[in-house]
Amino acid sequence: MAEIKLSNLTKRWGDFVGVDNQSLHINDREFLVLLGPSGCGKTTTMRMIAGLEDPTSGEIWIGDRMVNDDLPKDRDVAMVFQNYGLYPHMTIFDNIAYPLRVRGTPKADIKPRVEKAAEQVELTEFLHRKPKALSGGQRQRVALARAIVRTPKVFLMDEPLSNLDAKLRVTMRAELKHLSRALQITTVYVTHDQIEAMTLADRVAVMKNGIIQQLGTPDEIYNDPANLFVAGFIGSPAMNLINGSISGGMFVTTGGTRLVPVKALDRAKAVLGVRADDMDVHEEGQGDIDVKIYAFENTGESTLLTVQWGAQRVIARGDRHLRKDQDDVVGISLNQDHLYLFDPETENRIRM
Amino acid sequence: MRDNTLKYLLVLPAVIVVFATAIWPLIEAARLSFTVGRLNRPGSLERYLGWENYVWAILEEPAFWNSVWVTTIYTLLTVGLTTVFALGLAMLLAPGGRLRSAAQTLLILPFAMSPALIGVSFRFMFNPEFGLFDAFFGVMIPPLADVSWLADPKLAFAVVVMADVWGWIPFLTLVLIGGLASVPRDTVEAAQVDGASGWRVFKDVTLPQLAPVLAVVVILKSIFSLKTFDQVFMLTNGGPGTATQTLSHYIYFNGMKYGQIGYSASVAWLMVIPMIFLTYAYAKFVFRKADQ
Ligand SMILES: Nc1ncnc2c1ncn2[C@@H]1O[C@H](COP(=O)(O)OP(=O)(O)OP(=O)(O)O)[C@@H](O)[C@H]1O
Ligand SMILES: [Mg+2]
Repeated sequence: MAEIKLSNLTKRWGDFVGVDNQSLHINDREFLVLLGPSGCGKTTTMRMIAGLEDPTSGEIWIGDRMVNDDLPKDRDVAMVFQNYGLYPHMTIFDNIAYPLRVRGTPKADIKPRVEKAAEQVELTEFLHRKPKALSGGQRQRVALARAIVRTPKVFLMDEPLSNLDAKLRVTMRAELKHLSRALQITTVYVTHDQIEAMTLADRVAVMKNGIIQQLGTPDEIYNDPANLFVAGFIGSPAMNLINGSISGGMFVTTGGTRLVPVKALDRAKAVLGVRADDMDVHEEGQGDIDVKIYAFENTGESTLLTVQWGAQRVIARGDRHLRKDQDDVVGISLNQDHLYLFDPETENRIRM
Repeated sequence: MRDNTLKYLLVLPAVIVVFATAIWPLIEAARLSFTVGRLNRPGSLERYLGWENYVWAILEEPAFWNSVWVTTIYTLLTVGLTTVFALGLAMLLAPGGRLRSAAQTLLILPFAMSPALIGVSFRFMFNPEFGLFDAFFGVMIPPLADVSWLADPKLAFAVVVMADVWGWIPFLTLVLIGGLASVPRDTVEAAQVDGASGWRVFKDVTLPQLAPVLAVVVILKSIFSLKTFDQVFMLTNGGPGTATQTLSHYIYFNGMKYGQIGYSASVAWLMVIPMIFLTYAYAKFVFRKADQ
């Protein structure tokens, strides 16, 4: 039972602003994902919630308590550190057991709980080893086990799966999703992995330069981006952003092609956003515009066509059975229900 | 082949220097320890006695055992006190802060003073008539006014220990600050979040990771404590009586003052025994650390 409230939270080091006057309300039992490029202040935000970093100004509330002046040990949070922070002189068992021991868990309870946590992260056979004798991915799972061995008020997870191989990452992701539903503990989760963000999050906060750009459900973030940054950051491949203008209800590319009808007032400069999935690939002459293929990639489940579009390059997703070659010409059409317009000056969305 | 020859040629000067200044005196001292070895008796440096000097020291000479005892207590006390104080100071000074570099400079000062100078200055400070401590105690704790610190066996011993601890804290503090800096901050923070109190973080996480450095500090300081001479010589000259007579001082006294070179050489060699253990342990720890 703990909601987290950050109000006007700022962290500065000298002139450098790590987190800039941010307010965020994380609901009880919510799974919130912090997403953003390297150095945008994700870890800093987490460390302030954990009590490892003092905010320059602003308040942090956990439940109905203002915790600014509480020591980390009194905040009842469990954290997975970005660089693990394992105790090198203890065995894996002792590492995982440590939070239980310092909090005075009865001896008889410790062993089964450590073993259960180890099993959840598939580490049972390594319990007697020291961290030095584990691989990076295994160490990361120890850090994860050390967090989930306890039922704290809040989980803070800083890229907890970043070092796992693809297969293990999928398993662990499912394990975390299951755990978060089962334990119903408020979780703040940092990741660079879009799929992790989309699949795990109740809500996603997209950050840039210490400022939250958009806060919303994965669906909102993906399908209704608030500005150019979010549009360009979310999705793989990222949304295509085409420069041009609006005149007479049509979007006109900088090259002069009257591309698609849009419901917006005329303006001299506009950016049209369209996802690779919202473009259809046709034979030459059958789309809205004919373009030449710059690179053709087959990912197995679909094909990605990077095409030369005037001065710009644009990525479209084609059928997985499509076979084309570099320099072939194809027709592209845009799905007019899923177009986004942005103002290149303010970078904000122009609502249609 | 040529590379190998060159390699040995290059270390040769160092080997010669070590041999001339360390190995040769050791061998010569070993030889002397088996002779009558009286400076005032011509020819006695070549008159061999076998193990008699050693037997004499161990079986017949209470003064020898007194200095062994003094040295042992002195070593235990100085090593313990210096390490504890240095560790405390290092903990205070280790995390960043404005005071830090200034404090570190001030800190190194006592270490830059020669032990003899420390001895002299402490001697003046404890002078019962015009010493700093006398003035201080005279005002603060009147019953302690005019106590002759260096005339009382127990107090004199305490003063010698204090002077040594004072002189050594800085260096060991610096070493331990370095040691603390090598304890990953993550592990400390992880323990804090896991719920450990300040003391438990120190006991469970910091101390175990500091152990190798701490071991080196303790061993190194033990070696230096065992050899202590100059401070004792300047401060109390072993007295009152033999209350502060360390082994080194005892060796010096017998050899230089009484001219019993053979006998003091044998005591010196007896002192080599614990030194070898400590040096071995030191080397082991230092190289184990380098291996990691
Ligand atoms: N102790 C510090 N002193 C000065 N600047 C710092 C300090 N800690 C972090 N920063 C700066 O604050 C910014 C935010 O850092 P933070 O670690 O929160 O980034 P992040 O979003 O977690 O990035 P990543 O995805 O790479 O982990 C960075 O530009 C970093 O250089
Ligand atoms: Mg980070």
